[in-house]
Amino acid sequence: MTEVEVLKIQEEIIRDLFDDDSIEVTLSTNADDVDDWDSLSHIQLISKIETHFKVRFALGELQSLKNVGDMTNLILKKLGS
Amino acid sequence: MLFNSYLFIFIFLPVTLIGYFFINSKINHTIGKKWLVISSLFFYSYWNISYLPLILSSILVNFYSSRWILAEQRQNRKKMIFLLGLGFNLFLLGYFKYRDFFLDNINFLFSSDINFARLALPLGISFFTLQQIAYLVDAFQGITEKKKMTDYSLFVVFFPQLIAGPIVHYQNVMGQFKNNENKKINLDNLKLGIYIFVLGLFKKVILADTFSGWATEGFDHTDTLHFFQAWGTSLSYTFQLYFDFSGYSDMAIGIGYMFNISLPKNFNSPLQARNIVDFWSRWHITLTQFITSYVFTPLVRSFKEINFRNSMIAMFIAMSISGLWHGAAWTFILYGAIHGLAIIVNHSMKKRKIKLPKTLAWFLAFNFINIGFTLFRATSLSDAWKVYQGMLGLTFFQLPKGIISNSFIKSSGMTLGQHMTNDDNLFLVMLILGFIIVLKQKNTMELMDKFKGSHKDAIITAFMFIFCIFGLTRVSEFIYFNF
Repeated sequence: MTEVEVLKIQEEIIRDLFDDDSIEVTLSTNADDVDDWDSLSHIQLISKIETHFKVRFALGELQSLKNVGDMTNLILKKLGS
Repeated sequence: MLFNSYLFIFIFLPVTLIGYFFINSKINHTIGKKWLVISSLFFYSYWNISYLPLILSSILVNFYSSRWILAEQRQNRKKMIFLLGLGFNLFLLGYFKYRDFFLDNINFLFSSDINFARLALPLGISFFTLQQIAYLVDAFQGITEKKKMTDYSLFVVFFPQLIAGPIVHYQNVMGQFKNNENKKINLDNLKLGIYIFVLGLFKKVILADTFSGWATEGFDHTDTLHFFQAWGTSLSYTFQLYFDFSGYSDMAIGIGYMFNISLPKNFNSPLQARNIVDFWSRWHITLTQFITSYVFTPLVRSFKEINFRNSMIAMFIAMSISGLWHGAAWTFILYGAIHGLAIIVNHSMKKRKIKLPKTLAWFLAFNFINIGFTLFRATSLSDAWKVYQGMLGLTFFQLPKGIISNSFIKSSGMTLGQHMTNDDNLFLVMLILGFIIVLKQKNTMELMDKFKGSHKDAIITAFMFIFCIFGLTRVSEFIYFNF
């Protein structure tokens, strides 16, 4: 999978989670850019991403995710591509 | 040794700092790091050397358990070592921090009379244990590598953050020590570090220690508080705690910069929060992150489905644990629990798209925080109730002396009550000043971004420093040293 492909799926998941199709997701999108992105929706997002990509984030990795791009990189790393 | 002492400021800090950079340049960085470990252990033992073996054994056990975990290939063996390591940390905390509380409750519950010698809380145990638990989890989940003893020890004992945080991750700090640029003295960082340290010192010595006198008077030396006294007492404590702890964090961050290490920010104008979810993203940020990552997340994951209800249950449990982490008393558990409930209320409101006007939202949040801190400060539930009674006007309602002119009082036919504090005029000035600082002024992180190291900055820093140095005549510990 490429970065663009992963990002596309992340965008779909984020749009679905926040119920807003107008959200534009880029690598630098972070919690401040999306209304309602708080600790609660964050864990739901993580869980949806884990289920979709069949990966598991370590607890210590969650804290280092500062934006969508960090998550994209981590997903790619875990997928080994 | 306290950050706000002459010994620390004029001897320990300069000697450690100069020694570190001197050794780095003349000998090598490994010896430089060893120098920092030894200095930090000296800093720790200066209070009470009897706890030195405790912190050393904590480091040794965690260091070797994590190495063993990393070397072990078999998953079930790995898990067993991890659980033993975790158990060791929880045992240390349980024994040194919660044993007395547990036995007190047993005695109360069964009307028994178990005699036991009370233990003094080893300094910083909650912080260094938490940091190492996180490291152990990271080792178990395979996101850390084998470390050298010196590096691991420095990660735990690096003196700016050893006693009361900010809570750091291994990679976060030790990655910076590795960087060659950081091994040499950097004048820009040194200036910035001194500036932030002095800001913190000012918060502690001038602001927190002034409010502390009024809070102590109300909580510890007065049996019944009238309405104004009670509000004065609780607000004094809220300001004391904020300036004390954020001042401590500033000092830690400032010292970090002097060594070219950027420690994570811990406060972001928390008293401006408009709800309790917002508050916890601004108050003791590194603890919130730890609780979210290592307590809340595994709790949520333990449910089959991550839905709103399950997340809220996990949130409530995580917040109660966070309360208990602060101290071994029912007041702390209750403090965590009411914050857990407030977070649930906030999330439910958000879900139903209920929005309050900004000022009202702030007013409600601030009062909730203030009421919560009263519980946090109280030595028992009845102690907290004493202050609440006054705040609710259930004791007696008298106008404070000195605030309203005597002639007005007489003409209205009311009687004159007691003073709110020992110096009502100073109290009111400080209260207004406190509100202006927390609500309208730039916080340390914002000031840091603006800092240029100009002559003007130097003069401001020097002026604040001299002011603080004269205020340093009394010794006062930081509140978070008790946790």
